[in-house]
Amino acid sequence: MFDTALSSADLIFLAKGAGMTIVVTAISVAIGTVLGIVFGVIRVQLGTVYAAPLTFFLDIFRSVPLLIQLVLANAFMGMVLRLQFSGLTVACMVLSLYTAAYCAEIVRGGIDAVPTTTRRAARSLGMTWGQDMRHIVLPLATRVALPSWIGLALGVMKDSALVYVVQVTELLKSTQILITRLQEPMFLLLICGVFYFVISFPLARFGGYLEKRWSND
Amino acid sequence: MFGYTFQWNQALARLPKMLDGAVVTMEVAVLSMLIGILCAILLTLLRLSGSRSLRAVATGWVEVARNTPALFQIYMAHFGIASFGIHLSPFVSLLIGITFNNAGYLAENFRGALKAIPDTQIRAGRSLGMSQTQAFRYIIVPQMLRISFLPMTNQMVWAVLMTSLGVTVGLNSDLYGVTQDLNALTFRTFELFAIAAVIFYIITKIITLSARLIAARLFRY
Amino acid sequence: MTKITIIAALIAATGFAGAAKADKLDDIISSGTLRCAVVLDFPPMGMRDANNEPIGFDVDYCKDLAKVLGVEAEIVETPFPERIPALMSGRVDVGVASTSDTLERAKTVGFSIPYFAFEMVVTANDKSGITSFESMKGHTVGAVAGTFEGIALEKQVKAWGEGEYRPYQTQADVFLALSQGQLDATVSTSTVAMASVNSGKFDGISVVGKAPFDTDYVALFASRNEYGLINYLNLFVNQQIRSGRYAELYKKWVGGTLPSLTVPNAYR
Repeated sequence: MFDTALSSADLIFLAKGAGMTIVVTAISVAIGTVLGIVFGVIRVQLGTVYAAPLTFFLDIFRSVPLLIQLVLANAFMGMVLRLQFSGLTVACMVLSLYTAAYCAEIVRGGIDAVPTTTRRAARSLGMTWGQDMRHIVLPLATRVALPSWIGLALGVMKDSALVYVVQVTELLKSTQILITRLQEPMFLLLICGVFYFVISFPLARFGGYLEKRWSND
Repeated sequence: MFGYTFQWNQALARLPKMLDGAVVTMEVAVLSMLIGILCAILLTLLRLSGSRSLRAVATGWVEVARNTPALFQIYMAHFGIASFGIHLSPFVSLLIGITFNNAGYLAENFRGALKAIPDTQIRAGRSLGMSQTQAFRYIIVPQMLRISFLPMTNQMVWAVLMTSLGVTVGLNSDLYGVTQDLNALTFRTFELFAIAAVIFYIITKIITLSARLIAARLFRY
Repeated sequence: MTKITIIAALIAATGFAGAAKADKLDDIISSGTLRCAVVLDFPPMGMRDANNEPIGFDVDYCKDLAKVLGVEAEIVETPFPERIPALMSGRVDVGVASTSDTLERAKTVGFSIPYFAFEMVVTANDKSGITSFESMKGHTVGAVAGTFEGIALEKQVKAWGEGEYRPYQTQADVFLALSQGQLDATVSTSTVAMASVNSGKFDGISVVGKAPFDTDYVALFASRNEYGLINYLNLFVNQQIRSGRYAELYKKWVGGTLPSLTVPNAYR
């Protein structure tokens, strides 16, 4: 199995793919989280009825396969609007909204988990809405939301394996390119799988640890 | 004005074929959930068992399922298993890949749910004369499924969405596969995939709504 | 919706105001780069060398085209199913991607005259006992999704009424499945079949005979309404043959008898 034609140039090629996976994930999670927090707070503030259009819009990203979202966004930007975006831009746009859709749910869940009585108490102490959000809701909601958010960020990293459809050469795609040339599918796929696992596993464990620690007290 | 003229009727003429694909997509999703739940219960038991190696196997399954891309798992279920000389059809490969993924995530949910059930209930069951198995079967499992009902609904939606990865292992009878084939034939990319997206959306809505109805009936107390 | 339309039109208008009168051919020349869609898992037409740089017949063909246009060539890798979307989304200028010029596709993109022609052959796993096209009946066969031979083979399997057809996403996956024994046989272009069998990377597969499909003429493609560009492509293909460059590239990458690119008894 370790009798391989894999050269150091190929390893660099794989490392570039891994770098692309991390870049796409980092950009999308960063933008998606900011958007998700904004959308989540808006949804809580507006209430179910007035937030319905936003809820519907975000729900689409959770109800259609990511592969189709990418193909459609690519076709729409390029074929219909004739905008010259790179594949990386399209990938990050779609993944950001995809992240935001899930993140909004997490944020909403976090805010809802803060007891209304606690917030009323804060307001009756003379805190403004902003102060209440910052000093009461933020710390309490973060405890509930952070472990889920870590799970989401890792999910986005794994789902970024699909951006190959818009011509972005990330880790899984570079693995496939090498498989085509070297014909060592199992060996190369294992390398690829191990890479995802090595990044994802410790962070997932850390998320689980936080969840456990914070739920005990 | 756009450099593109929509030809919806060309794409809509293919709607019956796409609906046939949607049926296959549902078959894979439902089967993978049913088998996945059974596997997840088994994994939960194994993780509680006294045997160290059994625990390791179960934990390994759960961690690989949760920490690698689904696309990777499905690809392995086809080309990986085949390098041991076992040949599975694309349908079965996809089913195994998604089931493996489902079971991993569900087992983790079940473990969380299990913690919410007090140990004293098992002891109460035992003192009523139930065996360990009976206590688990009649007291723990029903509560576990109830607590994890919402995560299970989410997993079902994911299972539907994951079927779109079947094309990588040679499946072309599911909704995504059918759409891609039609696209190769006609190149009406936008129209065809937009229709597929709507069908997927409707399927997931049906799932979440019926889950809510089922929950309302089963869990009112 | 109308508001979005207007905004989009404004963006488009400001973005391309300078290029409003210029056509695609002008755009390519003034941009200094020709972006070609090439399939890179389709040896010997498109593949990668030891440094993972693109090489092959199609790659050289794109470079020749860039040279006569006086611009740099940029190879954009596109899997078979993504060739046309890449063009339609403006990510590439032309396709040099071994694309069959079917009438169904010509409703969406514009094709040049054929620049290459493929013969289809059957490659079988040695254990399957398949010795000809006809003996594939009842077996599990496969090809690349959405290709000329894939579509024809699926039709044939349906006509036989037994056996199974499986489309894979890439040519590499097809040969991998074939050597693993997941497929008993495949129909592919003779060039890719010979290149794969001769590579020595797939055990236990051999080319067993011709497939009775029509000759697969493949053409360059560009946006359907870019007549200036398509005219240029037609002349370019013609000049490649006249100058002997076509024969030279064929010898370099494929070898053997040079396929004729004309259809008997037809004008074009």
